[in-house]
Amino acid sequence: MKDEKLCPVLDSKKKTVNKIIDLAISESKKTNKKINLIWLEACGCSGNIISLLNADDPDIIFFLENMVNLTYNNSLMRKEGERAFEVFLKTLETEFILVVEGAISTKENGFYNVIAKYNNKYITGMEAVKMAADKAKYVLSVGSCASYGGPSAARPNPSESISVPDFLDREVIRVPGCPCHPTWIIGTLAHIIYFDKPKLDEENRPVIFYGVTIHDRCERRSYFEKGLFAEKLGEKECMFKLGCRGPITRTVCPTMEWNSRHNWPIGDNTPCIGCAREGFPDSMEPFVRF
Amino acid sequence: MGKKIVINPITRISGFLEIEVEVEKNIIVNSSCSGMLFRGFEDMLKDRSPLDAIYFTERICGICSTAHAYASALALEDTLKVTPSFNDRLLREFIHGCEYLQNHIRHFYQYTLPEYVKGPDFSPLLTMDYYDYRLPDKLNKELAKHYIQSTKYSKSAHEMLAILGGKAPHNHGIFVGGVTVNIDSEKFIRIKSLLSSIKDFSKNIMLEDVYIISKYYSDYFKNGKGYGNFMSYGAFENYPYEDISYLKPKVFINGEFFNFDKSYISENIYNAWYTSDKLDINPTDENTKENINKKGAYSWIKAPRYYGYPMEVGPLARMWLSGEYTKGISTMDRTIARVLEVIKITEILEGILKKIELINTKQSKYEIPIKAKGNGLTDTTRGALGHWISIEDKKISNYTIITPTTWNLSPTDSKGLKGPVEKALIGTYIKDLKNPIEIGRIVRSFDPCVSCATHVISDKYKPIKIRLL
Repeated sequence: MKDEKLCPVLDSKKKTVNKIIDLAISESKKTNKKINLIWLEACGCSGNIISLLNADDPDIIFFLENMVNLTYNNSLMRKEGERAFEVFLKTLETEFILVVEGAISTKENGFYNVIAKYNNKYITGMEAVKMAADKAKYVLSVGSCASYGGPSAARPNPSESISVPDFLDREVIRVPGCPCHPTWIIGTLAHIIYFDKPKLDEENRPVIFYGVTIHDRCERRSYFEKGLFAEKLGEKECMFKLGCRGPITRTVCPTMEWNSRHNWPIGDNTPCIGCAREGFPDSMEPFVRF
Repeated sequence: MGKKIVINPITRISGFLEIEVEVEKNIIVNSSCSGMLFRGFEDMLKDRSPLDAIYFTERICGICSTAHAYASALALEDTLKVTPSFNDRLLREFIHGCEYLQNHIRHFYQYTLPEYVKGPDFSPLLTMDYYDYRLPDKLNKELAKHYIQSTKYSKSAHEMLAILGGKAPHNHGIFVGGVTVNIDSEKFIRIKSLLSSIKDFSKNIMLEDVYIISKYYSDYFKNGKGYGNFMSYGAFENYPYEDISYLKPKVFINGEFFNFDKSYISENIYNAWYTSDKLDINPTDENTKENINKKGAYSWIKAPRYYGYPMEVGPLARMWLSGEYTKGISTMDRTIARVLEVIKITEILEGILKKIELINTKQSKYEIPIKAKGNGLTDTTRGALGHWISIEDKKISNYTIITPTTWNLSPTDSKGLKGPVEKALIGTYIKDLKNPIEIGRIVRSFDPCVSCATHVISDKYKPIKIRLL
């Protein structure tokens, strides 16, 4: 055993080699030309970034290691304070994609939603989105607050929130959902990164995820056709009469399901509440009616 | 006047938070925490259908939405006089337990670990300006790998939640009367298998990781203490079985244990922008009015107090009150308690699985009373959460929410008592004023959820700083 210590020079050489390999690997990762991504959390619940962490094939690690260079995100980034916001500013000088989750709170010049303090000045969500959107290659509004106002703009809309497309004077790809399904986010970004802009519908949603109504592909459709309706939650029939918004909501929920395809709201014997739709939540209520 | 340090944003938390401290001779002598987002959920809830409160209040928070669904369902059951079946209650507890696991694992690895461990080597964790990272290279690499590995298990926790609750975040399965799922053997074995892998990870990897960190950062056993007053509304309680019971509502004040009494909860408005005929407001009272011009006030957040005391809530409070962890009260103890609680919760969930029967949910049609009041108080991931609901004309007439983070980040009250996080910061030694990493470490040990804490502030506001402390 003691023989191993006989040659300290050899030992140190071995270590040096390892160190160089490690350095090379980490340097190659740094210079890997992935597109930069700013993921701004604005006026919302930060539930879309949590949903992204639930992504499955590709998962969040593949996404971060191979698809994008996520430079700025409040929930995940190591840096804090001014040093964090400096990264945001630096990214603006590069080619990047902007994801916004949360609505734009416009009341009192945006001061209901302050995201940073820089050089003694408060930076509002509104200001940060404007700054980044002016320079971003693509802008995605992820989640229903960013896409349509969503719960943040629910009546009486105390924060005077509006959607990102309403706020910006440029093209915004809407990726709604409350929260957005991680595969819809990563799938949309994958199209942009590896191909080009995905085909969008009249509301600027990627057709692959928002092309067909839930009702059209619902596993309970046959009950609807036969006129068999559930009268309370927990029953197996069509929940149209309980207020299901599947007929007016376009998402791939029935075929993709949620959380690594384990389940989805209708699979859990509850109606669709139209969370990915314009007008959610106000015009989707009551969510359940007897 | 000492030197001022401002950190905004405090990243790796849910929501937007600014911390400002005043430092004299490297010691924090004063501090303030500011929530930086306002949405106004309590105003939005007025006039909505009471049953919608469950799904609606979930939207307050993306990381702990199940907690709001759970408290809201309890409040509605209290109001509508509905009692869930035993099996449905167990399933709902299980769903809530999944939320604890998801939260704690993500808080420890994604939010806390980067304070003490370098890497992993990808953006947004990669940086050139590491400071005060003490782990030897080999251990550091191992823990950075666990950051990556952990994402599988926090995701699994949400998968279990979705199997029983439809989807996560923002589940559908928690409802008045318990749950909506009809449990069968296929669902049962899926969650059992996922739970088993989470338990293995927490026992064999996560626990060791927190002890490694605590060994190299043992000075963090000496800061961040705060008042040392704890409160819990109870968690996994009211069961005749020990293996699925955690703790009953309890408080610990000035070194003594007391039974909990919800009538002692009040919100002090001395330093908050509200006026009323009294300083201490009962959560069901509606007689506060916002007043931005109120002299001396500096916060939109009322200061919740229990019998006049600011209380710390969360995993350390629960572990302390239940006697599961009594080693100490500090930044590091808080972090250790959170990890130990992951193991505790996995054991309780295993116990629940042993008692679940494969029977359908007992959902029914619910009649909304013309006029009624109720509340739902429960402990959840970050501590004590309360929903108070009033119904008039079959609609919500008032809805009050006091979240765990509101307790922890509360402002100074009329007696001059500071909130728990502020108290925990004061007296801290900052080694390097250019890199005041101690502040973030202490604040994050409380796992603040500012999305939750700042939903309640009023709608009238001028563009000046919102201060919670």
